[in-house]
Amino acid sequence: MIYLDAGATSFHKPPEVSRAVLRAMNTCANPGRGGYEAAAAASRTVYACREAAAGLFDCLPEQVVLTTSCTHGLNIAIHSLVRPGSRVVVSGFEHNAVTRPLHALQAQIVVAGRKLFNWEDTLAVFGQALDAGAEAAVFTHVSNVFGYILPVEQMAAMCRERGIPFILDAAQSAGSLPVELNRLGADFIAMPGHKGLLGPQGTGLLLCAGEVRPLLYGGTGSASIMQEMPEDLPERLEPGTLNVPGYGGLTQGLRYVKRRGVDRIFREEHRNLERCVAGLKRLGLEVFAGEHQAATVSFRTEGDCEEGAALLAKQGFAVRAGLHCAPFAHESAGTLDTGTIRVSFGCGVTPGQTEAFLRAASKLSLDRR
Amino acid sequence: MGSYVITFRSVTLGQRGERVLNGSGIRCSLYRTPRWMEEQGCGYALRLWTKDISRAAALLRENQVPMRRIYLQKTDGQMEEVPV
Repeated sequence: MIYLDAGATSFHKPPEVSRAVLRAMNTCANPGRGGYEAAAAASRTVYACREAAAGLFDCLPEQVVLTTSCTHGLNIAIHSLVRPGSRVVVSGFEHNAVTRPLHALQAQIVVAGRKLFNWEDTLAVFGQALDAGAEAAVFTHVSNVFGYILPVEQMAAMCRERGIPFILDAAQSAGSLPVELNRLGADFIAMPGHKGLLGPQGTGLLLCAGEVRPLLYGGTGSASIMQEMPEDLPERLEPGTLNVPGYGGLTQGLRYVKRRGVDRIFREEHRNLERCVAGLKRLGLEVFAGEHQAATVSFRTEGDCEEGAALLAKQGFAVRAGLHCAPFAHESAGTLDTGTIRVSFGCGVTPGQTEAFLRAASKLSLDRR
Repeated sequence: MGSYVITFRSVTLGQRGERVLNGSGIRCSLYRTPRWMEEQGCGYALRLWTKDISRAAALLRENQVPMRRIYLQKTDGQMEEVPV
């Protein structure tokens, strides 16, 4: 299988990730719950993950809350900032992990900036929406469907200037673009551990600078007499037993990303994107590409996108089709009725594999003719 | 050289305190806070050996690691709380 679905999860991970998972399973008990060696080993494993994340994302270790997924982190962040009826400005490219929690809270969702790959429009419309009044803003760094890199530094500055708290969804950018909590001035940044950070599924990180409100309540191994959750981060947001093997693996993924360098990872992935976009265009397919694009591209054939992806799967290529849990993004691009086939490049895809994919896609385009 | 115990509200704060002090050459180790020292129940503490507890406390403050209490272990083994 040639794996081109890094937007969903990383598949080929550095070998030290699975080794660390196994080591943690064999040596760690419950972190923060005991003084014996196996409990202390678990606490060290978890803290190493916080330290590795803090080093990569410009924050303190205790600002790193360990979650089960980016979605989990976004739910905590939204639950902390948004109240029923709040007016919340979002970009035109949000995932259901943002819009569904907002919908559940009966927030007034204001979608701002729907033009793909157009920073000028994104910034102008976003600014207007903030000026009309907002209790919070939530925006993605990179569209999971189209790879559009939003101008998040400018959007963050606009929020800061107006005193509007904001959440950044770094699901598609952590590990391949710079993400810095303090420099950006975000209240929260949520990210998965298993995509660009190369950790195991079931891991995620929430970087916290804003006031937090627990989503779950329970034991934290600290201040046990109190019936309120402890005030301190990260324990305030981490009741229950943590996924120690998962975070052991994630630590290795974080260290790998740090060693290799985010800029280098982006450049390598982007070379594949450029080759892929040019090839798909040569085939006469409808390709959604432009400036400010991460290593993800969507395209359409005249046939059904799911059938197209199934044909590619039969030839050994793993890509994703459909609406990608992001109806707002498809609405923005005018692809809600058809969906798209998405190709997303992660670490380690070779130019030869990209060429092989294009040969497979050429059969797809011939089939439709 | 005196033996001291600094208590923290959580394992994470204790761990960061451990990093700060060890990184500054102050030898310390993390362990579970004795029950009598922590009225809120369940916490972590650093045992450290230093001539200058004021420096250790200042380092933790500078690095924004909140402490709960500091105890000095006297020669007879008794623990005496000292002001944070």
